Amino acid sequence: MFDKNVVRRRRAALAVFVGLSLVLLTVYFGESGGGVLHTLQRGAQQAISPLQSGASRALKPVRDLFGWVGDTVDAKGENDDLRSEVESLRKDVAGAQTARRDADELRGIVGLAKQSGFPSDVEPVTGRVIARSPTVWYSSVQIDVGSADGVKRDQPVITSGGLAGKVTSVTGGTARVTLILDSTSAVSAQVVPKGTSGVVKPQVGKPTDLLLDFIDRKRKVTKGATVITSGFTSSKVESLFPRGIPIGRVSKVEPDEFELYQRVHIRPFADLRRMDFVQVLTPRANDERAESRP
Amino acid sequence: MILSPGAFARLGALIVAVVVLQLSGLGPIRILGGHFDLVPLLVAAIGLYAGSVPGAATGFATGFFLDLSLGQDMGASALVLTAVGYGVGRFRELQDPAHGLLPIAVGAVASAAYLLAFAAVSFMLQFDASVSPLVLRDILLTTLLNAIVALPVFAAVRRVMGPSLAVDPSELRRRRRPPQEAGPIGLRGLSVDR
Repeated sequence: MFDKNVVRRRRAALAVFVGLSLVLLTVYFGESGGGVLHTLQRGAQQAISPLQSGASRALKPVRDLFGWVGDTVDAKGENDDLRSEVESLRKDVAGAQTARRDADELRGIVGLAKQSGFPSDVEPVTGRVIARSPTVWYSSVQIDVGSADGVKRDQPVITSGGLAGKVTSVTGGTARVTLILDSTSAVSAQVVPKGTSGVVKPQVGKPTDLLLDFIDRKRKVTKGATVITSGFTSSKVESLFPRGIPIGRVSKVEPDEFELYQRVHIRPFADLRRMDFVQVLTPRANDERAESRP
Repeated sequence: MILSPGAFARLGALIVAVVVLQLSGLGPIRILGGHFDLVPLLVAAIGLYAGSVPGAATGFATGFFLDLSLGQDMGASALVLTAVGYGVGRFRELQDPAHGLLPIAVGAVASAAYLLAFAAVSFMLQFDASVSPLVLRDILLTTLLNAIVALPVFAAVRRVMGPSLAVDPSELRRRRRPPQEAGPIGLRGLSVDR
């Protein structure tokens, strides 16, 4: 009835593939950032970045069309009268919105850098998002600027509205940005103007709601207050984000009688799921020279 | 599946095209909070049309390339997609299904299994954040959206891989169709008017 050799071969094939996956996982977690698999990843990202860049540009009108359709569905009640007219103009509008959204986003990024309190000792490098992680568990994007443009690992990244994340790996022409929505992210922040400090962490699956943790429950935090980076990260030791980058606005405060800390919810200023442009904050040239001095 | 250089080339091109399209084109498109995910559909289609071993191999290769392109934990997607490809392939080998709408059910189940298993693996590997219940909504909506696009995606995969498939699924369906009634002299193809 069953050919034993076929069954044996099938099981062996499955065991090989599962074994290879487990070996990959083990080696990946065991090696440093300069290990074989990490280097292979950087090489692959570099190699396919032209493909991703081309696909991203080519499909942008389609994405905007879908985004536009989604917005229209949300606002259905208000748009009933205009629907028939809008239907006929949809294609034109999608094209026009593509250009306008790009302009708005770039204007927002430039405006952010001009705000008072924004770090002045940085040189922003603008990049376009060319690929995004499809899962909610790994929130990262790939951008089309890399070490050739002065981008280095661990540099902060902003987008229109506020903080987006930090650079976690770099190739010659691309960089991977791990967003503040990623489950591994933790950013030291403070509520202004009172200066109450805490750590901003994401809630996986809820990109519009961040948590400001480790706020003593005796400290009063008001709804609507602005949250900015406080100048050092809580994640281990390094200080990655300069002080003064806007993160979001306090949307809800949940005091807990049984906990030491209160849970403060923040709505991020930046729309991290739909951004197309970002800026990497690289140190100014004279700061770099100062850094390299012994 | 007929193993030939052409089959490998076609499958390789399909994997690269789907992963690039997913990461740079379809991934950011959010519809009611969910999104299309072609990756599990590709693996399920190969599993369904070619069997368990090609399904597992495609799952591993697709997952490997996905992890490589994204810079995320190497092996996580490969592990989950290997299981999805093998599972769908075994279903086909044991049940030998031939219904025309089968891709919808297979696509939905494969997508849900992939998303849930990937969530479990991610959770086990490294996790230090709270999880919103909206993750379940995301999984549900993505599964539904994938079920909607499953038929054209499976058809496209069958078209691309057609020359390399040992058994054409559409041929299998034709074979299963009940025979037409023959005329009184027993000539096949002559229907009886009543």
